[in-house]
Amino acid sequence: MDKLIQEEKRVFMTGNEAVAWAAVAAGAEIMNGYPITPQNEIMHYWTRLAPKFNKKFLQTEDELSAGFTTIGSVLGGKKAFSATAGPGTTLFQEPLSMAEMMRIPMVLVVQQRGGPSTATVIYSQQEVNMVTFGGNGEGWRIVYSTSSHQELYDYTIKAFDMAWKYRFPAIILGDGYQAKMRESLLMYNPEERGIELVQPEAFVGKPGLPGRDRPASHLRNAFSVEEELFDAAMSIQREYDQMASEIIEADQQQIEDAQLVIVAHGVVSRAAVAAMNRLRAKGLKVGYFRPITLRPFPEKQLQAVAASCNNFLLVESALGQLARLFKEALFNVPVKTFQTIYKPGVGITAEEIVEYIEALG
Amino acid sequence: MRILEAYVGEYASGKSEVAINRALSLLGGELAVTLVDLDLVEPFYTLRPLKRELEAMGLAVITWDTKDVLGFGETGSLLMPQMRWALQREGHVIFDVGYGVSGSRVFNLLEGFATSKLKVFAVLNVSRPMTANLEEIVEYLQGFEQLDGLVNNTHLGAETALATIYHGIELGAAVADAMGIPVIATAVDARFRTQLGSVDQRGNPIRYLKLYMEKAFW
Amino acid sequence: MVERLAMPKSWRLESKPHKFCPGCGHGMVLKVLGEVIDELAIQEKLIFGVDIGCSLLAWDFFDVDTVQTHHGRTNPVMVGIKRARPELLCIAYMGDGGAYAIGSQHLVNAAFRNEKIMAIVVNNCNYGMTGGQMSPTTLPGQKTETSPYGRDPKETGSPTQGPEMVAAIASPGAYVARGSVTNLKQLKRFMKKAVENQLAGNGFSFLEVISCCPTNWRTNAKQTWAFMEEEMASYFRVGELLTAEKDEENS
Repeated sequence: MDKLIQEEKRVFMTGNEAVAWAAVAAGAEIMNGYPITPQNEIMHYWTRLAPKFNKKFLQTEDELSAGFTTIGSVLGGKKAFSATAGPGTTLFQEPLSMAEMMRIPMVLVVQQRGGPSTATVIYSQQEVNMVTFGGNGEGWRIVYSTSSHQELYDYTIKAFDMAWKYRFPAIILGDGYQAKMRESLLMYNPEERGIELVQPEAFVGKPGLPGRDRPASHLRNAFSVEEELFDAAMSIQREYDQMASEIIEADQQQIEDAQLVIVAHGVVSRAAVAAMNRLRAKGLKVGYFRPITLRPFPEKQLQAVAASCNNFLLVESALGQLARLFKEALFNVPVKTFQTIYKPGVGITAEEIVEYIEALG
Repeated sequence: MRILEAYVGEYASGKSEVAINRALSLLGGELAVTLVDLDLVEPFYTLRPLKRELEAMGLAVITWDTKDVLGFGETGSLLMPQMRWALQREGHVIFDVGYGVSGSRVFNLLEGFATSKLKVFAVLNVSRPMTANLEEIVEYLQGFEQLDGLVNNTHLGAETALATIYHGIELGAAVADAMGIPVIATAVDARFRTQLGSVDQRGNPIRYLKLYMEKAFW
Repeated sequence: MVERLAMPKSWRLESKPHKFCPGCGHGMVLKVLGEVIDELAIQEKLIFGVDIGCSLLAWDFFDVDTVQTHHGRTNPVMVGIKRARPELLCIAYMGDGGAYAIGSQHLVNAAFRNEKIMAIVVNNCNYGMTGGQMSPTTLPGQKTETSPYGRDPKETGSPTQGPEMVAAIASPGAYVARGSVTNLKQLKRFMKKAVENQLAGNGFSFLEVISCCPTNWRTNAKQTWAFMEEEMASYFRVGELLTAEKDEENS
């Protein structure tokens, strides 16, 4: 098998391609997927790379099957993943909930499109609710919201590692813009960067005769009584909380003297940073905060920001989905002003943010 | 003389920029110039959002108009009747061909292709990971039944350095040798004009590109 | 001790007596499957997938690696395991609701793709675990909690012909049969051939079993047997639909 990256160098590509390459770099062995825009090139490039690197692909009948075959492959001991968007993310809630309950690692890449329903294939940040707390459950997922191709590459590799290390499903939350945009990034072999890839382990089909050489694996997600579920749920929650402190990530700039903090995630945070820089150049004391993990959410980091500046402008391409996470994190924390730019399914530019803040006077 | 050219290449190789700039460079003569958007895989980064602007500059542009389509990406990629008959138009015709595994077969959709003098040129950005070395590029280009030349278009977007461009030109020369086809030009972002002049280190004419596609996200 | 001798070796002693209702067909199907596991010595490489519904009660039935999945999703989970680990043997075990209603798209596409797994569908004409509602295979006129006046085919269609559907779309190499718990000898023969078909890597293996649900049918032993042998048999024909031999005859 060829080495993925012969020499580290910058390459020029779309975000979807970056994900496909990163999955190969992360040691993923199987992708099972169903076509939906705007994630298709992840499958296109995975299938082009597959024979070169001895990878497998199955185009399933729908996203339910994509999710459950992925779970099957993981149970068999392989690193497997899928990618989807919009209505596909809706269907993915079912397999994700099984993965949460049974502690099955899997990686799902979501390239957000407009919603609800079919809406547009283009772009949005409207799948935040669904990726963080979708399904019947408690949101036991890891969600990384990326903002550039380099991050798509880095965090796809990280998502595999965190999923397999902690045995929770991990989601890369991109969007149609990131999927289709072209920009350069540095591709690398993670091992050569000192990143030790977590090796998968089989849940079923281990060597030995079950019942004689080893106990049989009997895996279930159904419980008979309330108490049994309670114990299981509390135990998973404890492990989730413990993991949270180890994996939470946020980015923030110029908070110290800020009189207003712009809050954004994903690709919109690029506009937020650009707006902050332009306003700073004009002498306005503006800072910025961005959660990178949306689940678990960087509550403490945000609370620390609020302790320093409690005037916020929250910007998102949705009607308050990031805001819901933000408000929960700051429950009982005094916030002086809270303003929003909500543009469901529409991109947000630095100019708009600058204009909005300047109009505040 | 009437010019019929199609620009093909790997996803995100820069075909559209090269095709637009080529079409615009032909304006001002006696013949009309038509630019045809033949992207059938996904309707992204196509010429659609630029249609009005390019028409105002004097091009005839055959592409879908946003107001005429519903649910782009959901309804499939539709071939406009005008695309099928584009080779029958008078004047110069430049095709911007979308990526995809079908290679040259897309030309079967054009009426009169077999008897036409359409030249097919591959746009090459060696900063693209699947077309980064001689072997990969030759393997990729052999997927095209007809190929009349290469256009070097190696860049890294905003991070392009002169070394990036030089490397692309050298590798392009090796590819052209291996394939037995000429390099017809080297395309470079106009911001390098003062540094590079009118021909590159291999003697290929340089086509300076004004970038349009950044505005054409959807 | 006499009991133990009657039990297939692959059965898990700790989970016996099993939790199925007295007279339930599952016990008989799983006995046959246990014997086949023993005779073909496949216990070590078998992965058993169980659905939601009464089939999930088999989640710890065997000393075999077993995964309990979601309703209708056992086929794709087994497909995922099989494709990841082709050396394993994967059997998806489900009821008629899981196979023909909520999971029908998975069944149809697994059959189309000729996935090298085996699906066992235990057909008892109703949703037993949720309280006896109408299922895809409920017979015309049969009363259930959601067809209290009897199933009316004009309103709700006719009983799904599972093996016939699978046989119509399956590829060469597939094995498709319908057995019955009223003829365990024949059922075992079919079961064995279906497993061997996967062992040989030929293609999709599909076995429907005419089974019974005396609890929800509210039938005594005699009535239960009569319902299977008379009423069910008039809609569901027992026999092999696709086999390697038939492939050869057709080629």
